[in-house]
Amino acid sequence: MAIVASEASVRSTVEQALRGSKRDLRGRLFEAALLGSLLLSLAVLLALLWSVLQTALPVFAERGFDFVTSNMSRIESRAGVRQALIGSLLLIAFVFVVAVPLGIAAAIYLQEYAKDTKLNRLLIANIRNLAGVPSIVFGILGLVVFVQAFRVVTGPEVYGKSIISGGLTLSVLVIPIVILVSMEALRAVPTSIREAAYGVGATRWEVVRSHVLPYAAPGIFTGVILSLARAFGETAPLLLVGAVTGYLSPGLGGSLLEVLQGQYTALPTIVFSWSRQPGDEWRELTAAAIIVLLVVIMIVNAAAIVLRNRYERKW
Amino acid sequence: MVKMRGAWRLLGVALVLSLVAAACGGDDGGGDGGSSEELTGSVVVSGSSTVEPISAFVAELFNETQPGVTISVDGPGTGDGFELFCNGETDVSDASRPIDEEEIALCEENGIEYVELEVALDGLTVMTNPENTLSCLNNGDLYALFGPESEGFASWADANDLAAEVGGNGGFPDLPLEITAPGEESGTYDAFIELSGIPDIGVERGLSEDEAEALRKDYTASPTDTVIITAMEGSPSALGFVGFAFAEEAGEGVKELEVDGGEGCVGPTVETVADGSYPLSRSLFIYVNTAKAAESEALSAYVDFYLTSEGLVTAVEEVGYVPIPEERQQASADAWATAAA
Amino acid sequence: MAVSTKDAPVSLTTLRGSVGRRRKEGVVRAIISSAALLSLLVSLGIVVALIGEAFLFLRDIELSWLWADGWFPRRNPPEFDVLTIFIGTIEVALIAMLIAAPLGLGAAMFLSEYASPRLRRTLKPILEVLAGIPSVVLGFFALTVIHPTIVQDLLGASSAFSILAAGIGVGILTIPLVASVSEDAMYAVPGALREAAYGIGARRRTVTTKVVFPAAVSGIVASLILGFSRAIGETMIVAIAAGATSGALRHIDPLTPGQTMTGAISSLAIGSDQVKSASGFNPFLALYFVGLLLFVITFALNVASERFVRRVRRDY
Repeated sequence: MAIVASEASVRSTVEQALRGSKRDLRGRLFEAALLGSLLLSLAVLLALLWSVLQTALPVFAERGFDFVTSNMSRIESRAGVRQALIGSLLLIAFVFVVAVPLGIAAAIYLQEYAKDTKLNRLLIANIRNLAGVPSIVFGILGLVVFVQAFRVVTGPEVYGKSIISGGLTLSVLVIPIVILVSMEALRAVPTSIREAAYGVGATRWEVVRSHVLPYAAPGIFTGVILSLARAFGETAPLLLVGAVTGYLSPGLGGSLLEVLQGQYTALPTIVFSWSRQPGDEWRELTAAAIIVLLVVIMIVNAAAIVLRNRYERKW
Repeated sequence: MVKMRGAWRLLGVALVLSLVAAACGGDDGGGDGGSSEELTGSVVVSGSSTVEPISAFVAELFNETQPGVTISVDGPGTGDGFELFCNGETDVSDASRPIDEEEIALCEENGIEYVELEVALDGLTVMTNPENTLSCLNNGDLYALFGPESEGFASWADANDLAAEVGGNGGFPDLPLEITAPGEESGTYDAFIELSGIPDIGVERGLSEDEAEALRKDYTASPTDTVIITAMEGSPSALGFVGFAFAEEAGEGVKELEVDGGEGCVGPTVETVADGSYPLSRSLFIYVNTAKAAESEALSAYVDFYLTSEGLVTAVEEVGYVPIPEERQQASADAWATAAA
Repeated sequence: MAVSTKDAPVSLTTLRGSVGRRRKEGVVRAIISSAALLSLLVSLGIVVALIGEAFLFLRDIELSWLWADGWFPRRNPPEFDVLTIFIGTIEVALIAMLIAAPLGLGAAMFLSEYASPRLRRTLKPILEVLAGIPSVVLGFFALTVIHPTIVQDLLGASSAFSILAAGIGVGILTIPLVASVSEDAMYAVPGALREAAYGIGARRRTVTTKVVFPAAVSGIVASLILGFSRAIGETMIVAIAAGATSGALRHIDPLTPGQTMTGAISSLAIGSDQVKSASGFNPFLALYFVGLLLFVITFALNVASERFVRRVRRDY
């Protein structure tokens, strides 16, 4: 597409530049419109945070930190997010242990080892598609495979609706994203680094382990944290694999295995179920739970950004 | 390199620390009332969202003295609850209507034996926005506004003709008729149909049984009561129904309508529901899997507790329903004692 | 591990290294390649699970049930009018794109072409923060703020929920996705092209709209397709704010409640397993059928967007 820089428009541009007037009106309006769209997004964000904060304020004013340490309850004045917070943290820990190593391993293979064959291109395309699949479809997968088919392993006492099932479902959801961000981070490492290692006779794994990974680590780390933050806020898949929405006993008894095989709830699930309770008080509680949820996510995101800025290298 | 390894370790430690903190921080479920034995085990309760608050609060009270028992309570709906129950997937089924024939058959098919225990009374409150001047509806009105033949009525006035035909009072104004009410998966829906007299009127008018036992399709259906309450508050000519407790909680935001079941207009209050004079009142039940109860001490302890006055009176009232009269409380306790033996 | 070349002549065997190292290499390769193949297993799992159960569903129903007044899975007889929920999904997605496309593209254009590096560093986090907001939170916002103020007060709708409120919420959710993908596309346009344009006297607005935008158009289109796909797959906002949780008639009015495919799945699921309706038929199986439809649609959209992105890469 050719740029029609007609003589007239060139003359006017040069004239304006010489005269010192910054830009023409339409250009300025255009720029304002673009900036405006960005600021509109900011306005919506602030409106959201403001409305949630306002609604949640009575809860924190009255009960303060007690809200975070109270358990689920039917009585508004007693309800709190302790179990939900623990459940969410357990789920994320599970995802961290299961999905992150698998994802990084797969990314290393696809980026460092795999030749450009049809199979490997198919694999990568498949992973990209998986990253775009709606989260609720992963919930269906989790329901069929983890809750129903593998019930004996995931949670024999609770009909499969355990933390293991929830954690595995979230892991399956997160792995493609971890793979993609890790691949990008690995791709950004210059070939010269690799070649330096090959040059002294290292095997491919040694190259990766001692040269590529350390330099890609900040990028991988950031990406992993961001995907964990995303998984923290996921609700739809958990609804399908059995997170409790009504009431759950506070005791976190027994060995680690028993806990993992037991029932659970999660912060986003609580937000969803409380948003359906009648009355102003429940609405306030929902907002308060949202505040806790957002605080955790913001902390994680901020950590990722800080770390990214600190460890980022410019090639 | 070394720096990054430190960062990974930091992340891992942070995760573990937060978990430990959260787990220990609230470990206050200790019972200071001396309980004779510390029970452990799990109890899974599911079913009616109307009964859910009662079962959940009973569980909460129970956990105060028995923290070792893990109880979970969900409220997907009476029908859904029975499905789970009769497939052996839950221990207790909450229900806002008695179990029906198909469900009984399913339980028999799967060898699930149970006992039905009445635990509370509930009214179905028909409500509208406080600005609405209407105050009383009879069965004919309910049919004309909610019934299967009312589909398409976008304004209250549209229902006047039909109301006249079926003995309703009619006289509705020409305002938008926006109905928000429980959907078909809810026991409240079934209960409303049964108690409102809609099926009888429908069959009289020549509809088949199946057709008559349904409401109009074009209303906003929701299984969650807050949505229904919000809808009443949202429009001056809104109409809907919910369980009694939820309407009470909504307080000023909704106007409860009186219902005339043939003996005059009666409004839903604790007294009228308890003595049965309010036409749209119903019993709430729990169904307990007797085989599981025999095996699980935790389960039988929970049900024992449920049927004491702490459950049947304190919890029921706290949640906002109406306790059953004392003789029936005793009847439930007896039924349980027999079944548990 | 350095190989000494001083003493022995360098031969292939020396360079290749000890057997132990090679074995370790082989083990590592096996482990990580199986990790990669796992992803194929997941896709296969999804497809098999969905197709298997969806097939059971189609086998058990009367096909006439798929074309009815609306989506009423628990009636007797049940109605599974797919068009109802499909229309709902498309409506929500279109409304969402009406919001996300201009705002996302505008933000991307500003950040890529107009903002100084410092301004960019300050403003870009806005989008990143927005991207981090979970969908339940946006759903709550749509229900408690967007609907009352915009749909009810401004547009006079009477119900407590609407497709429009849900659509706006989904739109807000999608802005960061559209912005980031299209910004990447614009950023990738070589500076040389811009400089050539400036060199013949074009203004910044002209460069942006007539040079950068056309050059990045494939990536921009990809961002829109991805955004649309994301909007189609969004569940929680619809479940909270669109209102029709169990049954819905077929309609296109966005000011009233409605049901989407994702909403239908979640409402069937919030129930439980194996739910039978009055007719004795199991409506839960419909969940798999709708899930399969959803998977196929988003899959097709994602493949389409891939095509566009690949074209960008090839050009440079």
